[in-house]
Amino acid sequence: MIQNLTSIIAILIVTTPILILIMFLPALLELKKPKDGGPRMIMGSIPTVNMRLVRVIPIVNMEDEQKFDRSLIQTLTRIIEALPSLEV
Amino acid sequence: MIIEALEVVFLFSTALMMAYLIRHYVFTLTVLRRTKKARANVAADAKYEPTVSILIPARDEEQVIGRLLQRMTELTYPRNKLQVITIDDASSDSTRQIAEEFSKRYSFIEVLHRDKKNGGKGKASAMNSGLERSTGEIVLCFDADYYPQTDIVEKLVKEFVDPAVGAVQGRPVVLNEAQNVVTRLVTLERIGGYRVDQEARDNLGLIPQFGGTVGGFRRSVMEKLGGFDVSMLTEDTDLTFQVYLAGFKVRYVGDAECYEEAVDNLKAYWRQRHRWARGHMQVCFKHTSRVLRSKKLNTKEKIDGLLLLHIYFVPVLTLISFFVGLSLILSESSQLVNALWLFVPVSFYSLVGNFAPFFEIGIGAYLDGRTRIQWLIPLLLFAYWYNILICTKALLDIFAAKMFGKSQSDWAKTRHLGNGNHYIVN
Repeated sequence: MIQNLTSIIAILIVTTPILILIMFLPALLELKKPKDGGPRMIMGSIPTVNMRLVRVIPIVNMEDEQKFDRSLIQTLTRIIEALPSLEV
Repeated sequence: MIIEALEVVFLFSTALMMAYLIRHYVFTLTVLRRTKKARANVAADAKYEPTVSILIPARDEEQVIGRLLQRMTELTYPRNKLQVITIDDASSDSTRQIAEEFSKRYSFIEVLHRDKKNGGKGKASAMNSGLERSTGEIVLCFDADYYPQTDIVEKLVKEFVDPAVGAVQGRPVVLNEAQNVVTRLVTLERIGGYRVDQEARDNLGLIPQFGGTVGGFRRSVMEKLGGFDVSMLTEDTDLTFQVYLAGFKVRYVGDAECYEEAVDNLKAYWRQRHRWARGHMQVCFKHTSRVLRSKKLNTKEKIDGLLLLHIYFVPVLTLISFFVGLSLILSESSQLVNALWLFVPVSFYSLVGNFAPFFEIGIGAYLDGRTRIQWLIPLLLFAYWYNILICTKALLDIFAAKMFGKSQSDWAKTRHLGNGNHYIVN
């Protein structure tokens, strides 16, 4: 009986740390080098809005540039119209 | 005689924990199979836009209140039907000043200030003050550290088309998850609790819980109930059962999501969970017999209601069954001990609670498309043992309060530091 108990205790001493290591190793790896630290992105959260803003801004800029081009052309046109004809 | 009594206690506690194990597995499988209870289709396509009041109770929240109020100005719900009330509950920092700045710029934002004489008496008391000032047909609430989707009001409010709905609950998502191991474990708990547990209870027509934030209620129902019970530490859990006992339902809206700031250290975790455990146990003592006797609840609602009411006793039961089991082993005269083939796994099961909640959390993470966070689940064993201590202390505190007449409803608030703000770019 005592020999059996001693054997059981010896087995437990050897196997328990191994079992603990197996059980917690993935957790330790994830804590050490997190591959998914979060937070989870939720629909309608700011990052999504930011992404939309990044796409929108170039379009807005293009429109502004077009407006600038058009107004410049209109101004130049008015200047040219006001100049006396150089045709002989 | 003593041995027989211990055996009965051990078997009873094991049977009760088996009931919770089955419950967790049923919930997990329900959500996996996406089983949805058919709901009454009440004017589903009608344009339903009631007036809405949003209550934001705040005490010493200067680090976060500005962020939330700014978000209120970005909500897509028609502003002429929206009223936002910040309830400054005797704050000692600049919470009031920040809220009043917003109130000056936006007419739909109001500030209700409670001074030190009238304020600081608990969240329930603050909410009742806000309720008196509010005018909306539907009243929603957000804690000051929350950050909702811009269309969250529409998502929550649409459930009230069904006149049977008395309250709704959305889903909080931890914003400062990556901060440390405590926040990551809290995230796992939230995933299990909302992505699976609440979802399943809603799908199965059981009792989803109103969580006091990211949710709301129908004003007429609240008036009928007489407001929040200020003697309850967890007025939200109390409201859940009040709503059902009055013949209404609570709906869980899983796609109405909102960021929250989780506790980031063990001390804060203890304080928060201790408040939840104590409050929940108070609600249990108040409502158990009412749930049993109620004619407004069907059988499965009663069963789920009773399991929900007693859930914070499960960790205490784990502790009791561990010591009882140990006593039976050491006594050498228990018949149970002779049935080692049954006794050993049952004892081990009692020591660690049961693994069904961990399975629930794992499936919740999987459904969220997050497999890596599942690697942290074994660490929840330590969280569970910590909760055993918390719940046991909470129960002892309740008994001590009963014996010595100590007040139980103080605002034991969680301190919010605005952690996670860098995920929200201004």
